[in-house]
Amino acid sequence: MLAALLALQHADSAFPSGSFAFSNGIEGLAALEPNFGADGLARAVTAILRHRWARSERVALTLAHRATGDFVRLAAIDEAIEAATLAETMRQGSRRNGASLLVTHARLGTPGAAELRAALSAGTVFGHLAMVQGVLWRGLGLDEAAAAQISGYQTLAGLVTAAIRLGGVGAIEAQRVVGEVLPVLAEVLAEPVETPATPDAIRLESFTPLVEIAAARHARADLRLFAN
Amino acid sequence: MIQALKSEAALGPPSLATAARIGIGGPVGSGKTALIERLIPVLAGRGVDLAVVTNDLVTKEDAERLRRSGLIDPERVSAVEAGACPHTVIREDPTLNIAAGDTLEGRFPGLELLIFESGGDNLASTFSLDLVDWWIFVIDVAGGDDIPRKRGPGVLRCDLLVVNKTDLAPHVGVDLDSMLREARGVRSAKPVIATNARSGQGVDAVADAICRAVLFAP
Repeated sequence: MLAALLALQHADSAFPSGSFAFSNGIEGLAALEPNFGADGLARAVTAILRHRWARSERVALTLAHRATGDFVRLAAIDEAIEAATLAETMRQGSRRNGASLLVTHARLGTPGAAELRAALSAGTVFGHLAMVQGVLWRGLGLDEAAAAQISGYQTLAGLVTAAIRLGGVGAIEAQRVVGEVLPVLAEVLAEPVETPATPDAIRLESFTPLVEIAAARHARADLRLFAN
Repeated sequence: MIQALKSEAALGPPSLATAARIGIGGPVGSGKTALIERLIPVLAGRGVDLAVVTNDLVTKEDAERLRRSGLIDPERVSAVEAGACPHTVIREDPTLNIAAGDTLEGRFPGLELLIFESGGDNLASTFSLDLVDWWIFVIDVAGGDDIPRKRGPGVLRCDLLVVNKTDLAPHVGVDLDSMLREARGVRSAKPVIATNARSGQGVDAVADAICRAVLFAP
C-alpha cells in the first residue's frame, strides 16, 4: 500500500518539478494548426508516447534506475538523451526540468540527490529529466515499473495540460483524450528494456519530425507561454 | 564537444554563503520593473552585489528591458518562463526560479542579493517562502484606490507593500492619503511605502527596507 501511495505522491502534478513551464512541442503544434483541438491533441500525444517517450525517455529512465551509483553509465545515458533530442529547446527543457526536480529532492534529502547535484554542478552530467527521475525514484524505493508508469503518465498529463492552458481543448474534453490514450501508454509500458553490456552501446530512438519542426519554430516565436 | 556542452549546462560550484532572496510581485503595469530599475543603482551604490530573475508571462520583455538598461551586467539577469501560470512559478512550484537563482549564485560568487520579479498577476499572488526570504507587493494608484480594501492576499501578506505612481493620484481621482491610510489599516503593523518609480521618489526608503530586512544593515 505504501509503495502505491509513494507512486501517487511523485506522479502528482503538485510535486514541485518545474514541469508546468514546458509544453514539449504542444505550443508549437498548436501554432502550426489553427484548429488544433482534441483530435489533434490525441494524435500528437499518441505520436509522442509511441515514437519519442517509448524508446527514448522511458528507456533512459529505466536504465538510469538500474544504474544508480554508476556515474559512468549515468553520464552515458544522459549523453544518449542529449543526442536523441533534436530540437535545442527540447534539450534545454529536459535539462532545466531535471535540474528543477533535483532542487526539490535535494531539499528533501532524497537518497542520491546530493551526489547527482554535485555531478551536475561539476559538469559531469547534463542532468536530463529522465536520467534524474530514474536515479531519484530508485532512491525513494520506487521499483522500475512504477518509475516508468509515473514518467509515462506525467508525459501524457503534461502535454494535455499544456493544451488546456493554450485554449485548444477544454479541461473536461482533455480528460476524454487522456482516457483514449491510456491504452497506448499501457501498451508501450509493456515493452521490455534491454540493458546494453557497455555504456557506449546505449542507443535511444526518437522520431517525431512534425513535433521537432514545431518546436524549432516555437523557439523563434516572439510570444510564447511555454519554454518549449 | 560533449564536455563543453556539459560545462555550459553546469550549475557551477555551490556557494558557501547563499545570497538573500527577495520577491517583487504585483498586478500587471503596477511598476515592478520600473521599481527594480530604480533600485539597482541605489543598491549598487550601497555596495550590494545583486542579480535579478524575471518571470515574464509571454515574452522576455522585462528581462530584455533590464539587460539593455545599462544598469546591470546582462549576464546577471535571468529569465524564467511562467508556463501561463504566474502564480505557480513563484508559489506552488518555484523550483525553476530556485534553480535559476542557484545558477546565478554559482556564476557570481559573492552575490549578496537575488531579486525575483514576478510576472504581472492579480491580488491573490503571493511568494513561497521556499523561494524568497522576504517579498514586496507593488500596487499603483491608477489601479484604483479600492485595491487595499479588497484585502487580496498579496496586499495583506507581503512584507512590504509599495503604492506606486503617486504622481498620478490627482489625475485618476484618487485621494492618496486616504488610500495609504486604508492600506496601513488592512496590514496591521506591516509597512507601506509610497513611491513614484518614474522620478525615484520613495525608492531610497524601499532600499532601506530591503537592506534592514535581509542584508542586516542598521
